[in-house]
Amino acid sequence: MTDSNIESALKQLMQKYEVKGHPRLNLLPGWHFLGKKLNEHDVPLLTWRSNRRFTELQKLVSEQVVEDVSMLRFSSFGSNEEWSLEALMYREFDLCEFISGSNIVSLHAVFSDNSTGNIIVKLASGVIGSMEVGVQAPVGRRLLERHEIIARRGVASDMVVDTQVPQSSVYTFTREGESVYKDVDNELFGLDEFQAEWVRAAFEVQKEPGQSEDLKTRHARLSRLVDTALMSNSGKQKMEVI
Amino acid sequence: MKPVKIAILSLTHGHTRKYFQTLKENPGLEWIAVSAESEKVRDNFLKNNYQVPCYMSDEEMFEKHPDIEAVVMASANSRHIEQFRMCADRGIHILSMKIPSFNMKEYDEMVELVEASGIVCQVELELHYNPVVNRIQNLFSQNKLGKISGFNATNITLSPVWAFPWQGVPEQSYGKRLPLSPGDNRFRGGALCDHPHVFDMIRWLTNSDFEYIFAEAGPNIRKELEVEDILLVNGKMKNGVSFLFDPSWSRMEERLEVPAPGWEVFPKRMEVNLTISGENGVMLADCFGPNVYHNGAPHNRYTVHYTYFDEWIGLMDEFIHCIRNQSFPKINLKWHKTTIEAMNACYESIYTGQPVYL
Repeated sequence: MTDSNIESALKQLMQKYEVKGHPRLNLLPGWHFLGKKLNEHDVPLLTWRSNRRFTELQKLVSEQVVEDVSMLRFSSFGSNEEWSLEALMYREFDLCEFISGSNIVSLHAVFSDNSTGNIIVKLASGVIGSMEVGVQAPVGRRLLERHEIIARRGVASDMVVDTQVPQSSVYTFTREGESVYKDVDNELFGLDEFQAEWVRAAFEVQKEPGQSEDLKTRHARLSRLVDTALMSNSGKQKMEVI
Repeated sequence: MKPVKIAILSLTHGHTRKYFQTLKENPGLEWIAVSAESEKVRDNFLKNNYQVPCYMSDEEMFEKHPDIEAVVMASANSRHIEQFRMCADRGIHILSMKIPSFNMKEYDEMVELVEASGIVCQVELELHYNPVVNRIQNLFSQNKLGKISGFNATNITLSPVWAFPWQGVPEQSYGKRLPLSPGDNRFRGGALCDHPHVFDMIRWLTNSDFEYIFAEAGPNIRKELEVEDILLVNGKMKNGVSFLFDPSWSRMEERLEVPAPGWEVFPKRMEVNLTISGENGVMLADCFGPNVYHNGAPHNRYTVHYTYFDEWIGLMDEFIHCIRNQSFPKINLKWHKTTIEAMNACYESIYTGQPVYL
């Protein structure tokens, strides 16, 4: 763990819930390990899966609140100081398979200047999906995201209808300008949404370290998907995912 | 720390099911038993398969489990005084629902019972443990808006009466049958009784109490109810802050006997939104948003699917802490009394047609 806020929040949770844990584990969002060889203490976390936005979207699909999914429309734009295209792809590929419950079998990707990318994926279930990623948003801006699921019965989304930007819970309009705040976890108050999901994901591994191996396997697959997208762009062709 | 052995009484309050997961997961608690108000309530509880014994009377439960240390008093408002007496007599700590009583004589008796028995009594005003409210409080402490001038808030929901019928019965909700106003065929005990949060929040955040309060009830949108479902409240705090509250049941619902997906007809079944003005600017807050959204099962209607409700964790953490460390909860009966008095003043204002000074 690198961020001291995250480390202390994790310690606090472990103390409260009497989880002994393994202090040597290197618990980072999986994309941090892209292109690196994992050592025995590295655990690539799927932190976004601990975000209630995504667990609820996943449930809406798995519990057939929206039925017979046909298409996914995902987008994610961040700044190049905090994100890379590969990191965003890693996250969105996982969300795509996690929410739909199906594996990506092929994709076609186009990138420009290593700053934006547009990908069309096809899943084993026949579902298709679009993924827009980019790293040209200003520094300090929260990810501009959309995750929309289109089904024969219903549409589900983390964006409320008739809006273009993700909403926040508190807005202030003062002489100092406009500020927005989004607090999602009172037990971890003070951490932003991404830090909170990171702590939650790390806590789950500390509780059940047995899942580390599955996370490493998953990391290998997501790394492969990122590589496949890069190859598709450079080869200008649709690629099957091996 | 030794877990607190806890039970739930009655299981008829709308918030009951919010406690189930927390009572199971919080390592500071050991969930011992529940009592059910009726066989129907018991059968619904048993369907959850929590493996917790369920009794048909509070007395039987306490006799079978003399080790119970604390209860969540999840009952109709009219049952609270009798259950307070029972718990105080046994030295059992109480997590009271948001309305201990509207009868101020009963309320004072509750205060005395708690003081005399030395038990902890915390009132369930869960918004104090909501992350958005925590942020608002944080911005207030930084004086982000400067001197506050206006505090407007909604606490609007669907009506829970079809699932929790006591909330539509004046004697059980308000404590007695008092006409809303002369010539009105409705009685006290509806939406206002369900929505104390905004009255509490303004006191807490502005650090002031009510100077005067005015309320007006509109025509019911549910003609069958004999209690109010639409009302507006305004007035002033002693520090000069003016306020406007909407504590209505203005979101229509399917008339389900057990809350379930599809309960809401309006997409968002419950909101607490604040608009606060100060000398430096304006703050807008949605205490239960943003979320995720869909128009799938069961009715293919556009629906707000909530993503976070973790208030119950912090609330129970404080309750446990107070029990084990013999400390005083932040939201205690004495603090809450002014809020209840303000709500009573709303009813008085509706009756007289004039503002009421507190």
